Amino acid sequence: MRLVNGLLKPDEGEVLVDGVPTTQLKTSELARRVGFLFQNPDSQICCNTVREELLFGFHALKMDMDDAARRVDDIIDEFGFNPEDDPFLLNRGTRQLLALASIVVLETPVIVLDEPTTGLDFRECVKVMSIIRRLHEHGTTVIMVCHDMEVVADFAERVIVMSDGLVVDQGPTFEVLRNRHTLEAADLVPPQIVDISLALQLMSPTLADSAVAHANTLAEMRAAIEPNALAVPFEGVDR
Amino acid sequence: MNGFLEYVPGTSLLHRMNPVAKLLFAVLFAIMCFCTSNPIFLAAMLVFALALAASCGMMRQTFGLMKAVFVFSLILAILLIFTTPTGDRLVDLPWGYIGTGSIMAAITTILRLEAAAIPLFLTFYVTKMSDLSNSVVKVLHVPYKYAFTFASTVHFIPVFMNDMKGIMEAQTARGVEFDQGGIVNKIQLMVPLCVPLLVSSVRKTNSAAIAAEVRGFNLRTRESGYKQYPFAAHDVAALVLIVALMVVAILLH
Repeated sequence: MRLVNGLLKPDEGEVLVDGVPTTQLKTSELARRVGFLFQNPDSQICCNTVREELLFGFHALKMDMDDAARRVDDIIDEFGFNPEDDPFLLNRGTRQLLALASIVVLETPVIVLDEPTTGLDFRECVKVMSIIRRLHEHGTTVIMVCHDMEVVADFAERVIVMSDGLVVDQGPTFEVLRNRHTLEAADLVPPQIVDISLALQLMSPTLADSAVAHANTLAEMRAAIEPNALAVPFEGVDR
Repeated sequence: MNGFLEYVPGTSLLHRMNPVAKLLFAVLFAIMCFCTSNPIFLAAMLVFALALAASCGMMRQTFGLMKAVFVFSLILAILLIFTTPTGDRLVDLPWGYIGTGSIMAAITTILRLEAAAIPLFLTFYVTKMSDLSNSVVKVLHVPYKYAFTFASTVHFIPVFMNDMKGIMEAQTARGVEFDQGGIVNKIQLMVPLCVPLLVSSVRKTNSAAIAAEVRGFNLRTRESGYKQYPFAAHDVAALVLIVALMVVAILLH
């Protein structure tokens, strides 16, 4: 992660951001292209009010302050912050949202997220991930480290599985999450729906090719087991 | 790799010594260095301290410490050169002169601080913090509350250094240029970082205090620790040696 925003420079090989090797750019220059959300929002938050915190990046990068004020107002509305709140008195989830907002407001083409949902409850997690999804839909490249396979399954398009510092597998999310060798090598527990459909594949050869044994999401599973969509009768399942 | 003042496991004599004996030796060694102004004796003590470091395999840590102490002592030495007009006159100054005595005072200060610091810091590298605090409670009858406070303070130094590193990385990632400009610019950039560090330290301290309370911190007395810290022959020998060295230092003064 730190290689992408230049906090670490590669010893060998190169990391390209917008086609430019990170070794050719200062970290402050990379900050205009890559936003980095740290796992712990308290490492990032350093100002006395929410507004100041959101403006901090513009000051650091010496950007146009008129434009900054407009963007900060938009973000405050979008995230539902009180601009005069003291960031250090907000709860953990809101501090995480503020840290994310202070990255989003800079409108960098790439954002790197280090476990953005750690310590958040379900509602906060969904809120954070929805914002990240919206950013991606608007063209932002999102790179995220995550250990929660449910979140990965719900939001990631492509995954790289790492274990003991090595890449174990990579590819489209469900191709990887359905690969038993990968799951075993990286000691991963797939999302529940994938787990169930993989178990169904193993239970009965007659089910192996059915839609229900290839469902990756709740919607796919539901569609597969509805009477008119069910291709294989359940009598064959020995349980 | 171990952090600043973090215990490094080992089986050397210094590792095996009684924690209280180590602490007393280090404190008396530091006092001894301030009891004499003899540069030859201080140089010999610096070599002795380095030998102690070598005996427990802590040369890397010791050189790191010496580098840090040297910067601090150099500032003091420069001040002394310009403010201690003694000995044969070498350079005239508007307010006095730089003499051979000024140079000797500067050299003595550097030697004294370097020699005094090494055993003190070495004590932390060769002693588990829990052993150090428990032994001062058992042997020196220091109230556990104070021993715990001291141990926690030392324990949190590497934690806060790590936090500071994380905060600086986070701000660097946001575009703050710590490597640009002069010292004034750096200080200006660092000051805001004290806020998150302070907040995180207060949060950590509060959590640690609550955790200690719920685990019966206030019930702990001198008798609570099961481990005993008896003095062995080498501990007594070390204390005799440091007392003898102190006498020599005072005589040489």
